[in-house]
Amino acid sequence: MEIRRPGIGAYVTATYPSKNDFLNAVRCLSEVSDFLEVGIPTNNPKYDGPVIRKTHFASELKGLDAVNVTRYGKVPTILMGYVEDYVNNLELVIKTASEVGASSVLLPDLLFEHLDKLEEYVMAMRNHSLRPVFFISSNTPHRLVSVLVKYEPLFIYLGLYAATGIKLPLYIERNIKEVRKLVDNVTLIAGFAINTPEMVKLVIGAGADAVVVGTALVDKLTNQRACMEFMLSLRGGLP
Amino acid sequence: MNVPHYWYNINVDLLKPLPPPIDPYETDSRIALLMRILPSELLDQEFTPLRYVPIPEEIRELYERMGRPTPFKRAHGLERALGNGIRIYYKFEGALPAGSHKLNTAIPQVHYAMRDGAKEVVTETGAGQWGLAVSLAAALMGVKATVFMTKNSYLNKTHRVLFMKTYGADVYPSPSELTRYGREAIKSRPDHPGSLGLAITEAIEFTLGGEGRKYIPGSVLGFVVLHQTVIGQEVLQQMPEEPDLVIGCVGGGSNFSGFSFPMIGARLRNEGFEKTRFLAVESMAAPKLTSGKYMYDFPDTGGLLPMIKMLTLGHDYVPPPTHAAGLRYHGAAPSLSMLVREGIVEARAYGQEEVMEAARLFARTEGIIPAPESAHAIKAAIDEARRMPRDSVIFFNLSGHGLLDVDAYSNTR
Repeated sequence: MEIRRPGIGAYVTATYPSKNDFLNAVRCLSEVSDFLEVGIPTNNPKYDGPVIRKTHFASELKGLDAVNVTRYGKVPTILMGYVEDYVNNLELVIKTASEVGASSVLLPDLLFEHLDKLEEYVMAMRNHSLRPVFFISSNTPHRLVSVLVKYEPLFIYLGLYAATGIKLPLYIERNIKEVRKLVDNVTLIAGFAINTPEMVKLVIGAGADAVVVGTALVDKLTNQRACMEFMLSLRGGLP
Repeated sequence: MNVPHYWYNINVDLLKPLPPPIDPYETDSRIALLMRILPSELLDQEFTPLRYVPIPEEIRELYERMGRPTPFKRAHGLERALGNGIRIYYKFEGALPAGSHKLNTAIPQVHYAMRDGAKEVVTETGAGQWGLAVSLAAALMGVKATVFMTKNSYLNKTHRVLFMKTYGADVYPSPSELTRYGREAIKSRPDHPGSLGLAITEAIEFTLGGEGRKYIPGSVLGFVVLHQTVIGQEVLQQMPEEPDLVIGCVGGGSNFSGFSFPMIGARLRNEGFEKTRFLAVESMAAPKLTSGKYMYDFPDTGGLLPMIKMLTLGHDYVPPPTHAAGLRYHGAAPSLSMLVREGIVEARAYGQEEVMEAARLFARTEGIIPAPESAHAIKAAIDEARRMPRDSVIFFNLSGHGLLDVDAYSNTR
C-alpha cells in the first residue's frame, strides 16, 4: 500500500498505556491519519526522547506480543523496532509484520549501527512481499542515500532532530530541501517534534511528502475526542 | 592566497552514517539541555547536510587578521638531519597569536554566541590552550570570557593564566566556590586538584545560572571538527605535491581531523589521495584509538552532555600526568573514531620521553619549539621517514608552539 502524498501519520507504541487503550487509539487514529507507525515496545528505545521512552517502558505488553494484539491495514501501517533487539532474528519481526497486516518495518538503527544487515533486511522484506523503508538523519552520507533509493523503498524517513520530540534550532527547511535532492522521487516522510499545523505546512512546503506525529499525541491517546481533534487540526497544515 | 570560503563536512562523505547522539536513561534529556547552553548555529552545524559550509565573512576577516592562512612549510633542516631523501612538509598552527589551532573554532563559536545575544562565553580548560584561544576570541569581539581551569593546571601553568587575564578573561581554578558542584568538591576534598570533567560541569552550571551566557566546547563535537577543517582546506591550496603520508596528533581529535579531513574526503569521493596513508598519533597516557572501545559514552566526565558513539576509554578514565596535557582525553571525535574503525586512518600511541626527544630534534633543526602535544606528530614523522622509500612525501600538522610549556622542556639534555 502506498503512502498518500501529502499525508500525515500517527505514531503509537503498541499496548501503551494498555492493550485496550491502544486498540481504541488505532481504531480512532485510522479515521484521521493516512498511515500509522506502531512501535514495538523495547527496553532500549535509544533514539527516542523522554516522552516516547516512557511509552515503551509503560506499555502493557512487550516486544512482538504487543504488536500481535490486532490486525492492521485500514490504513498503511509501519512497524517500528530496533535492530539491536532482533539482531539475529530480523526474519521474525518481518514475518510478524506480514502476518499482522503491516506494510513495512522501519528499523531506525539499521543504517547507523547495523549497516552490515542492510542486504539481509531488504531480502527478508522482499521474501515476505513487503517493501523496505529506511530511517536517515540530515547528515547521512550522500552516497549511502543513493544506494537506498535503488532499493525502491516504500519511503525514506528523515528524522528532523537528534531524538523524537526534542526540537533543536536547526534549519529543517534547508535540511529537507537538501535531502529531497538526494532521494529523488522516493516518498519522503519527516518526523520528530512536529506538533502544530504551521510546522506541518513548513515541512511539507520544504519538500517532504508526509509527516509523522508521535510525542505530541502521547498525552491524548486515552481521550479519543482530543486525539481526533488534534490530528484534524494538524491536517489543517496540509496543502 | 586567500582564507578559504568553506569549512568541509566529512560526515556526508563517510562510508557509514554517524550514529546520532543519545540521552542517558537515568537523567533529564541532555539533548534538550544543549539547546539552553550552546549557541544555536553550532547545533545546526552539528547536523548539517551540506558538504561545504560557508564561512561567514566576519569570521573570514578575523581569521585573516589573526594570520590565516597559516604557513605550510618544508622542513629542510629536519630532512637534512634524517638524510634519506624524504620530503617533509608541515602546517604551522602555532603561528596564530594564541599559539595553537584552537583559535580556529574559538572565533566562530564566540561569533555565534554573540548572534544569540550572549554577553558572556563560558568554558573550561585543562592545559590552557583552549582557554587562551577563547579569551582572545572574546577580546577581539568584545564579550566577556569566563574560564574554569583545572586547579592543578591553574597553579602550574601560570603563564597561560596570566595571558588569559591579559586578554581580559575571568579565570577561576576548578573546583571553585562559584558553583554548587565546585563547592561540593571542595567540601569533600579541600585539596582537590580538579579535573577536566569537573571543570566542564562547573562551566555548564555557571552558564545555566546567569542571563546572557553561552557555553562553548573545545574539541570532539562535530562543529568543532568542522571549524578546524579550515586548516586542511588551506593545505589543499598550499601543497606543491600529494603526500604519501599525513600525520597529526589526537587529544579529542579536532586538530588531526581539521588537518586531514579535506584530504580524506577527496579520497572517499575518489578525487585524489589514492596512495596516501593517514596516521593519527595519540599519547600512551590516553590511548583510546589503539586500546579504546567503540561505544556510546559521555564526552564529559560529569555526564552532562548527550552520549556519542566513539572510541573511548570510558568517561571516568583518569589519564596519568603527561607534558602533553592536551592529549589527556578519554575519547575521540565520532567521525575520526569511525575512520579508524574502518581502517582509513591508522593509529599509534607514543610515550612521553621518545616524543620529547623528537621535539628537541625538531627545535634544533627547524627553530620552532613545538608543543608537547604536536611533538607526537613529529615523532611519528621521524619514525616513518626512516622506513619510507626515497622521494616519499610526508605532511604533518604542527598544531601549536611550546613556548609556554616550560615544564616539558625543563629536563632537556
